Amino acid sequence: MANYHPADELLMQFAAGQLTNALGVMVACHLESCPHCAHQVKLYNHLGGELLAEQSEAPVSAALLEQAWAKAQAPETPNPFANVGDARVPRPLRRFVPGYYDDVPWGGFSKSIQQWDLPISDSQYTARFYKIAAGKELPEHTHKGNEFTLVMTGSFSDKSGDYHAGDFILADEHTRHQPRAHMSEDCICFAVMDAPLKLTGFFGRMLNPFLS
Amino acid sequence: MSTPLVSSTEQPSLNELVLRIAEHQDKQSFAALFHACSGRLKAYAMRCGANDHDAEEIVQEALATVWHKAHQFNPATASAITWLYTIVRNKRIDFARKTKNVQVMSDDLWPDSEPENDLWQDSPNNDVSEHVESDLNAQLVRTMIEALPQEQRQIVYKVYFEGKSHSEIAEELDLPLGTIKSRLRLAMKKLDALAKEQMSWLIIILLMNY
Repeated sequence: MANYHPADELLMQFAAGQLTNALGVMVACHLESCPHCAHQVKLYNHLGGELLAEQSEAPVSAALLEQAWAKAQAPETPNPFANVGDARVPRPLRRFVPGYYDDVPWGGFSKSIQQWDLPISDSQYTARFYKIAAGKELPEHTHKGNEFTLVMTGSFSDKSGDYHAGDFILADEHTRHQPRAHMSEDCICFAVMDAPLKLTGFFGRMLNPFLS
Repeated sequence: MSTPLVSSTEQPSLNELVLRIAEHQDKQSFAALFHACSGRLKAYAMRCGANDHDAEEIVQEALATVWHKAHQFNPATASAITWLYTIVRNKRIDFARKTKNVQVMSDDLWPDSEPENDLWQDSPNNDVSEHVESDLNAQLVRTMIEALPQEQRQIVYKVYFEGKSHSEIAEELDLPLGTIKSRLRLAMKKLDALAKEQMSWLIIILLMNY
């Protein structure tokens, strides 16, 4: 079970339908494996329900009942992606990942850290998978903006803690860390950032122009 | 004047109206639910930024889904108004998606759970807890909204209905971002405290059932 969770503000925004982006997909993945946060979201859905109950009614046009009835009689359009993808990938991400994590076209100029950009980035957020090889350490870095990370498989540590599958971590410009994957297996993370990461230290400064 | 056993002036609840659709599958029950909720569904869509025409389109979509999924509605897990809220919210998201270049759709964020995976739903004990949970939740949330000071309430409204980010709300109300965040945080703390209280009740009720 996950030990690190999204902030309540984020869960409320999710229930309010305001996270229709990579960050929302990440929250949805976390909810699949976290009954605690799923319960919170249920509570925020109730809040939405109560706010809907309190609405004063908008006048509707005379034809609306017949139009709605006609629409209800038409066959339902099924979700074309309902059965797409690999069942080991969390459902919200399944249609965006080609198969399982082994099938992802990993790239990058180092064997210890590889990456793949997910096709759900937009003007606000960049969505990326990282694969840290077992036992390897990332160069120490900090972040220009916020970086949300969800551990998919494996585990890693930095000076603040140990993170396992399902953990949802937020790093911001005040976080300076050096994550290291645990020895037993590669660690795959789903990261969503609103600005690229900034490497600190000597090698970091050398690499930065290539990364941004 | 004779007094009927069941008061005929009392409106059927939304829960009953949705259950009737599932049971009768007829236009009469569909129309009854339509009259009970279409105005509020439309108001929600418009507050979220849809124009009159689009809002009616969203209402049609939502009610069509209600018609198709009425048999899945379980008043033990959520009240009808919460269920309707999740449906109209998803329709609003998917409608906005058509006009903007957005990849993510509501089915990605709220995948329909496969019944065969929800093994725990068959457990009778869970049935009790779910039922209790749904009643308490609705009551709890109502209590919470009523208890919120106007300034916190206004911000919660804006998060739900206007799709505003915290910084947009700050700009609109001409208040520092920190103030918005702390007001929202206060509102959520209150909800959380009530939720914890609710949890203890839930545990007591469950213990009494054993």
